[in-house]
Order: sequence, then C-alpha cells, then structure tokens
Amino acid sequence: MQFFQARNVMEAVERAGPGSYFLAGGTDLALQLREGKVKPQVLVDLSRVAELKTLNASGGCLEIGSMMTFAELGSSELVRTKANALWLACQSMGSPQIRNQATIGGNLGNCSPAADGLPPLLALGAEVRLVSRRGEETVSLAELLKRRPLLQEGTLIKGFLIPDQGWKSGFAKLGRRRALAIARLSLGIAVKSEGSRAKKIRVALGAVGERAFLSEALAEMLEEREMDETWLEAAAAGAQQVVASALGSRASAPYKQAAVAGVMREALASLAGGEELNGG
Amino acid sequence: MVELELTVNEKTYKLEIEPDERLIDVLRRRLGFTGTKEGCGEGECGACTVILDGRTVNSCLVLGVQAHGRKIITIEGVGDRRRPHPVQRAFVEEGAVQCGYCTPGMVLSAKALLDKNSDPSPQEIGVAMSGNLCRCTGYDKILRAVQRAAREVSGK
Repeated sequence: MQFFQARNVMEAVERAGPGSYFLAGGTDLALQLREGKVKPQVLVDLSRVAELKTLNASGGCLEIGSMMTFAELGSSELVRTKANALWLACQSMGSPQIRNQATIGGNLGNCSPAADGLPPLLALGAEVRLVSRRGEETVSLAELLKRRPLLQEGTLIKGFLIPDQGWKSGFAKLGRRRALAIARLSLGIAVKSEGSRAKKIRVALGAVGERAFLSEALAEMLEEREMDETWLEAAAAGAQQVVASALGSRASAPYKQAAVAGVMREALASLAGGEELNGG
Repeated sequence: MVELELTVNEKTYKLEIEPDERLIDVLRRRLGFTGTKEGCGEGECGACTVILDGRTVNSCLVLGVQAHGRKIITIEGVGDRRRPHPVQRAFVEEGAVQCGYCTPGMVLSAKALLDKNSDPSPQEIGVAMSGNLCRCTGYDKILRAVQRAAREVSGK
C-alpha cells in the first residue's frame, strides 16, 4: 500500500485513481483497514489540505469544508446559529475522542445507515461540493444519496453548502445510551415559519433503511399549517407511518415505529436558529 | 514503509511504519509506550486514549501516519510515582482505580479537560469522560476524583 499526503485539493484528486482511498479522520477507515474490509492500493491523506478545513458564512450560505471535525463544528457559534440541527448532532455523535477526529466529509463518504451528520444536513437543505479530475460538481445531498455508488471513483467531497434563509432546525437521536451509541434512529427537521404557521418543512430520517433520506410525504403533511398541539401530534403520527413503510417487516420495525414518535417530539422541541435573519 | 516523525511526551522520534499501522501499535510496539491500553480496538471503550495536539483521540482509530509532525501525550508523559499529576493523585485518593486497565485513558481524558477548563461543571466532567468505559468502579469514584483534581488545579 502506498501513502500519499496531499497538500492541496488538486494534488489529492491527481493521485486518486483505481484502488485509492481518501483518508479523512480515519475513525471508520482505520477499523475497516484492520478488519481487511478495504484494501487500498493508495491512501491519499487529506489532513494537510487547508482548503478543506474551512468554515464561513458568505453569499447567503454557510460553507463547511469536508475536513472539519465534529468537535470543531460542535463548538462553533456560527454552526449553532445557522445550522442548529447539525450543531446538535455534533454534540452527541460518538464520544469526545471520536468527535475530535471524525470529519463531516468522512461521515458522508463512509455513509453508514446511522451516520449522525446526514439527517441534519438533509433537513438543512445542504448541497455537496464534489471534485475529481473530471471537474467540479455541486449536487444536493438528497440527490447524491440516491446515487449508487455514492461517489464515482476518484471523487473527493470538498464540502457542504447550507443555505442561510432563516430556517429553524432541530435534531434528535435515539441510542442505547447517551454516549458512544450508534444511532438506532435519528431525525433532523428544518422549518421555515411565518409567525406560528409552518410554511416549508424538511424532515430527514437516519438509521431507517440503508441510507438517511428526506421524507417528502411527511413535509407535505406538515406544511402550511399552524404549529399547534394537533400539528405536533400529526408530526409524530406521520413519522410513525414513514418509518413503518420504510422498514416493512424488518425485526426492528415495531420498536422503531413506536420510538420515532418520541424522537420527532424531541427534535421539534430542539428547533432553534435562523431568528436573527430577515423574513425569518 | 512511510517515514514518520512525531513528538511523544516532548521527545521527537523518527521511524518508518506501514501506512495502515495504527497509532496504538506505533506507540506500544515500536516506541514501547505500553501505558496506552488496547481495550475494544474499535473506538467504543477509550482505553487507548492519548492526547493528540491537545485533544483526546482513540489511538486504535488513528493511523500512525496521521500523527506525522504532531505532538502526543501518553500516560507516561503525565506524571510518575514521585510526581503524580493532580488527576493521578485524586484517582488514588478517591479510590477511583480498581483493575486499572481503563485508568490511563481516564486520566488522559480528565487531564485534557482540565488543561482547557480548570473549573468544569459536573455535567462538563460527565461529557468529557463519556468516551471512557470502566467495568469496575461504577464511575462515581472516577467522577469524584476528576472533581477533586479540578478543585486542586483551580485552587478552589
């Protein structure tokens, strides 16, 4: 196995070819290497690529470089105010040690069904910036997650763009314990409201099926309604329907179908952010 | 093989390692820092915790090559019998050590917390220690020890 430490994005994609793997935080890849699940010919290390370690808000977007760690995002005031759902997910993902090392780009690249970063990014309407020798591409995360395979060979996840349009967002996760727990169920939600009325909604579920996904049915059910007690109950019941139809007859279905109502209520209770913006 | 230069406990080492070699193996097998313990080997238990550039990581989930040019603190760099670190002293005084296997990782997580925040709340201590499992003590004594060390470090 060869090892190559890239100094910039150009170098990284130049070296990426058949049998190559990008090394981000490595918390998943180190384990897969040890278990022999992956056998790279070339390991392209991204830890020295400064342009992937950026976080800024400009041009109506929050821009997050793929090599930002969960700890860095979870301690950022910018992320808390502009992308509350993601900030919340960063508090509970893995453990302090894993959050210090694991990156948001790696979370997408590895694309575990239970990836904590994906439901919030989906709910926030994130776009993903990809780059390869073939050029650059910006694609919505929701669309990207429908692709098989997720990424073409030699494609690097450069970062994420989160539109900054005054949406409130929230996140909740169900694990078997509070720390060090793989999500059994996670839910990200974003709401664009006018007063007490929900105008637009995005809801995403994780650990329900192979990959995190946005539920358009659930969004439609909850849009253009007063966010009152009835609405809250509709959200909980709607989430149960979505989980039931996504999981079918899997063994975990009865448990998750019951549990998601509570996860939805918790996610809604955590809604925050977006207040300080015009038209919010 | 890849050339690796890293600083462990303020001493610089140059060596050659395999690209897929884990940091824990570099520390234990190549450099002899056997105070770093391997528990689960998959990032669930925190026994292999070391401090990498001021932040705790699981050395079983970090590749050695990722430590190139960086500074590591292992338990050997924290204190010794004659001059224990306040966290180590507090662990002894509170009886927070039973079998001792999780202790190096526990001490390093506590030290990393107190280095940044010498007056943590019980909740902050709980979060900082949440990535370290102990199967003996039931955690109460460990959390008390960290509080005691914090009082000593902050002078309260």
